[in-house]
Amino acid sequence: MERSEGNIKKKNPVLECRNVGRSFDSYDGKGKNEVLRGMNFEVYENEFLVLFGAGQCGKTTLLNILAGLDMPTEGEVYANGEKVSGPAPERGFVYQKTSLFPWMTVEDNVGFGPKVRHLPEKECKERIRKYLDLVGLTGFEKSYPSQLSGGMRQRVGIARAYANEPDIMFMDEPFGHLDAQTRYMMEEELQRIWQQEKRTVIFVTNNIEEALFLADRIILLTNCPTHIKQEYSITMQRPRDYVDPEFLRLRQLITDNMDLTL
Amino acid sequence: MIDSTTNSRFTNKQLIIIYTIISLVCLLIVWELVARFTSASMFLPPASEVLTAFFRSFAEPIGQHTMLFHVGISLYRVAVAFLFATVIGIALGVGMGYSRLFEAIFKPLFEFIRPIPPLAWIPLSILWFGLSDTGKFFIIFLGCFCFITVNTYDGAKNVDPELMGAARMLGANERQVFFKIVLPSSVPYIFAGLQIAVTAGWSAVVGAEMIQSNEGVGWVIIRGMSTGNTVQIMVGIVAIGIVGFILANLTSALERRLCAWNAQKGI
Ligand SMILES: Nc1ncnc2c1ncn2[C@@H]1O[C@H](COP(=O)(O)OP(=O)(O)OP(=O)(O)O)[C@@H](O)[C@H]1O
Ligand SMILES: [Mg+2]
Repeated sequence: MERSEGNIKKKNPVLECRNVGRSFDSYDGKGKNEVLRGMNFEVYENEFLVLFGAGQCGKTTLLNILAGLDMPTEGEVYANGEKVSGPAPERGFVYQKTSLFPWMTVEDNVGFGPKVRHLPEKECKERIRKYLDLVGLTGFEKSYPSQLSGGMRQRVGIARAYANEPDIMFMDEPFGHLDAQTRYMMEEELQRIWQQEKRTVIFVTNNIEEALFLADRIILLTNCPTHIKQEYSITMQRPRDYVDPEFLRLRQLITDNMDLTL
Repeated sequence: MIDSTTNSRFTNKQLIIIYTIISLVCLLIVWELVARFTSASMFLPPASEVLTAFFRSFAEPIGQHTMLFHVGISLYRVAVAFLFATVIGIALGVGMGYSRLFEAIFKPLFEFIRPIPPLAWIPLSILWFGLSDTGKFFIIFLGCFCFITVNTYDGAKNVDPELMGAARMLGANERQVFFKIVLPSSVPYIFAGLQIAVTAGWSAVVGAEMIQSNEGVGWVIIRGMSTGNTVQIMVGIVAIGIVGFILANLTSALERRLCAWNAQKGI
């Protein structure tokens, strides 16, 4: 643990990952390809947790399991004390490739969750308005995803997940495909959104600056089979500065630790 | 590509139309010359004669009806068969693409029927349906239903699993995933199928009308053949070609409107 005085109140965890492992049948069909092994950690209410690891180390696989989109081959995941057995609207997911519904307009994408759950018409409308406003896309209600830029699409992805008002948000490298400029902007936006609409966020990235800019806590993952190498509690004041000495020190510390594992 | 910067008097679209017209006119001139001045004139009536007969056929009846009626009755037959083919083809295709069980039951049967050319069914269809319109519907149906099924099946198989996961994550149940994700994301594939199918159905109408009929463009050709009237055969062919061309363009215009979201691929 880097710092002793964390800003997270260690009450009941909202998500528990208990000894989770995941293997796939290897491509020749004979052996097993072990991607995750013995993952143990908890996530606390309103915490911004970053899972940080190199490319292809199994981050998406882990996040899918935590969200209930995939089942572990070993161990289990508990959300609010209940075992996770499938996808549920109490958990929201923001995808690496945005995965918007391309035949729906922006407002239909954002309103999808409330509508399929049969919330009252008025409530659906209100949520669309509120969350499009939150991500700064008011005025684009009638646009199709193909008419938007990459950054705007990912804003829609975030609004779509928020519109269900889930307890936990899962974000899988949401800014991975954006250019550096847009990426910085979106990181600041996300921080603002998270401070405005407090939620537990589990955020996956392979970018150390992004991790340090956003996280309350960083979990460093090793390469395949992936397990937890180290945890860091990040207590720097927000908004953070990329060239702050403390920022640079932590950056050095974590990347050094990471390089050893490659 | 036609470069619009080098010729600023016309837009790209206008240029394409101009070239199309030029190519058509050239075809007609070559046809006319070949028919008039070579030995092919024995079997090939000149373009001018065919075209005059074609335009005349809108006023003077061929058999008991004018051309508009023949085209109308053929279109009606295609429309009825096409409607059935669309409903059954989409249902079967989406069903096979979405449900493993459905696929296991219907795919072998479908793969068995698929390679049989529609005209091979004519004798059976006469046996089963006699000489009624039902037999013609049946042949046209077989001529277009496979295309719709195959394409729809393809579309339903290729639904991005992440989109289905996203829908479930947002709280959609299986029925909602099917109607709100699987079906709409298959729409571009379905339309590609409908486009091929409408043309295929229109071509099958000739075969279908070979089964004893007294009207329809297919009948115009068959009738021309049995009376040795080459001009009438060509008139029928021209009519089939023009209507086919219009149908293909109508469906692609419809597709552009309904699948506007699909204009840019790779989202
Ligand atoms: N459905 C699957 N079947 C077989 N193997 C899989 C499957 N999904 C993932 N894997 C394996 O797990 C490994 C990790 O994949 P995953 O997508 O979780 O990594 P990642 O860390 O998210 O990568 P990236 O940084 O590119 O997003 C891959 O190398 C792949 O071999
Ligand atoms: Mg990934």
